[in-house]
Amino acid sequence: MKKFVTATTLILSALCSMASLAAEGDVGVAAAMDDRYCTTCHGAEGIGNIAIEAPRLAGMEAWYLKRQLENFRAGIRGTHGEDIQGIAMRPMAAKLSDESIADIVDWVGDWEYVAAEATVEGNVRQGRTAFQACAACHGANAQGNEALGAPALAGQNDWYLLTQLRNFRAGFRGSHQEDTFGSQMVTMSKTLTDDQAVINVVSYINTL
Amino acid sequence: MTNSVSRREFLNLLGAYGGTSAVLQAGAALGFMPSSSQAAEIALQANSGKKVAILGTGISALTTAWELTKAGYDCTLLEASHRPGGRMFTVRSGTVIDEIGNYQRCEWDNDPHLYFNAGAARIPSIHSNVLKYCKELEVELQVFVNESKTAWVQDDAMNGGKPVRNTDYSSSMQGFISEMLSKALGDSQLDSSLTESESETLLGMLRRFGDLNEDMLYKGSTRAGYGSGGFLDHGTKKDVVALRDLLKARNGGSVMVTTQEGTGSGPLLMQPVGGMDRIIYAFANRLGDRIKFRAPVTEVMVKDDGVEVAYEQNGVTEVLKADYCFNCIPSHLMSGIPNNFPDDYSEALNYIRRGRAYKAAFQAKERFWEKENIYGGITWVNAPIQQIWYPPHNIHGKKGVVLAAYNFGGANYTEMSQQDRIEDLLKHGEKVHPNYREMAQKPMTIAWHRMNHMLGCAPRWARDRGGWSDKEEQMYETLRQPVNGRHYLIGDQSTQHSAWMESAIQSAHYALADLDQRVRSEPV
Repeated sequence: MKKFVTATTLILSALCSMASLAAEGDVGVAAAMDDRYCTTCHGAEGIGNIAIEAPRLAGMEAWYLKRQLENFRAGIRGTHGEDIQGIAMRPMAAKLSDESIADIVDWVGDWEYVAAEATVEGNVRQGRTAFQACAACHGANAQGNEALGAPALAGQNDWYLLTQLRNFRAGFRGSHQEDTFGSQMVTMSKTLTDDQAVINVVSYINTL
Repeated sequence: MTNSVSRREFLNLLGAYGGTSAVLQAGAALGFMPSSSQAAEIALQANSGKKVAILGTGISALTTAWELTKAGYDCTLLEASHRPGGRMFTVRSGTVIDEIGNYQRCEWDNDPHLYFNAGAARIPSIHSNVLKYCKELEVELQVFVNESKTAWVQDDAMNGGKPVRNTDYSSSMQGFISEMLSKALGDSQLDSSLTESESETLLGMLRRFGDLNEDMLYKGSTRAGYGSGGFLDHGTKKDVVALRDLLKARNGGSVMVTTQEGTGSGPLLMQPVGGMDRIIYAFANRLGDRIKFRAPVTEVMVKDDGVEVAYEQNGVTEVLKADYCFNCIPSHLMSGIPNNFPDDYSEALNYIRRGRAYKAAFQAKERFWEKENIYGGITWVNAPIQQIWYPPHNIHGKKGVVLAAYNFGGANYTEMSQQDRIEDLLKHGEKVHPNYREMAQKPMTIAWHRMNHMLGCAPRWARDRGGWSDKEEQMYETLRQPVNGRHYLIGDQSTQHSAWMESAIQSAHYALADLDQRVRSEPV
């Protein structure tokens, strides 16, 4: 949060700081909250946090972030019983207003993009071959394509890509009947024939 | 139903008992108290002029800040949340539970007796350093009643699901155990390690421990209270619940050890009058504006001559330069904050898992438990809510706050909606108290796994229940060493007995001792 700060947030946080230091006995003061919870899980300036399994948000396209927040809010994503990380995310989004989503998207847009550290090691050559199917939508450099609704993959936490590809393959994500783009991914992810193929393609994405 | 137990039955139940002599040898250790029975004497070199950045305001951070401030260090504390204290958190009228996705504001009556310690709640007598600070900072304490023999034990599988009094359960269990053990004493394998005189002493003790009759059989005990009479008329014994029936309760182990575990439980525990956060505010109010609230840390860089900590406050990124840094930010949150820690240090930090814990409480319209002769203590329920606590303070007052669930492990409450959590606690509680649902006002719940700026409860180190592996011991030692002599990890994550305030305080003392040594050895 560098530039985009609402006056309300400033005033309320100042009030809260003062109230917390009130005379002994005046405890448990109420704090007004906004909906900017993201960094607790997703790391400082949205760099991602493997310990929470929360992916990087910095650098995520505004249109994609908005769609996913709306999907979480509507229960299109994060309601499948086996989507553990999605279930963790869903309650955060469930109560967001359109204004809050817009505020969060703006806030996230302010964070500096830094490519994630590679942690997955597979067969890059085989991954490259498999990626040809992905490139059609996500672009040859995994840079994403808004017109096709396909987000950038390059620079994302590879452990997150791994989880999501596994979830798509197993139908833990993308099975909701209103998840138009997700259902495409369920189909496409099946071109990866086994888990090793998933690891390989993520390893190739790491090179882009 | 049978009231006594055959030897065969006992042997079958017991399985094998090869460990007797080993247990006897362990007696040599008796008489020693845990090291924590002595409060630490902190004597830091005064007026070093050093600047210290303290990250977080859990009790380890506050201890550090308080000791350093007294010695003349220049401390700044950075707290991401709107409140100090971390997992020392008391909920009362007006308190916000900042659980992500489940924001709650407490609307209980505004009464000093009506509070809920949502995190740390009990202080054992041997936690000398916690007690030392309570004394030093003039935090008034009162007795916390950890066990009430009139509270209940409930398991759907026992007694048709109807609760039995703790005393019925524990007196009978004591009786049956004594009866079985006295029978086994005749067995050559067991008594070979005992002299005749020792056997006699043991038998005598068992007879009293179990309230056995002259035939060394358990036929019920008035310790469980009377079936009728007892004051104007002679008391009559209650019917004995058969051992087999008692064994249907799967939470019996907890019932039997509540007052006995030396590391943290006991018949006498303490609590601050008015809530556990009285300790936190006693520190925080003395530290004043050294604490910056709503100031999440965004980067920690250890340099040759100090530490640079970036943080955000009011939308502006600031950099705090300090000579030293004490950090109690939970390890799983540190992995989302850019830093330049060495690889082995980061590996150890990332190894610690975040614990789950869940608590819930409500304001009771009336002190209904007192009408059931319960004054404090714990009811054990074999359901995810596990425990019901009755407030030991404000006896015979109008209302009270009942702790309606305490699941250390969290079960699946984290994923449940507030509505489902409330229904769950009411559903299980009313098996014990028929008027529970009617009595419960404005339940509050807290899933620590989702608490903003915490995302976890007590850290968990050992992957194996059997104990710490060598690798884990090694990683623990790595984290106990300051990075470049500048950055100290503190908090219960940096101890081998997490979840206790005493551990967190001792982690601070350990780090302070190291710092003091370094400062003293610097050339003047």
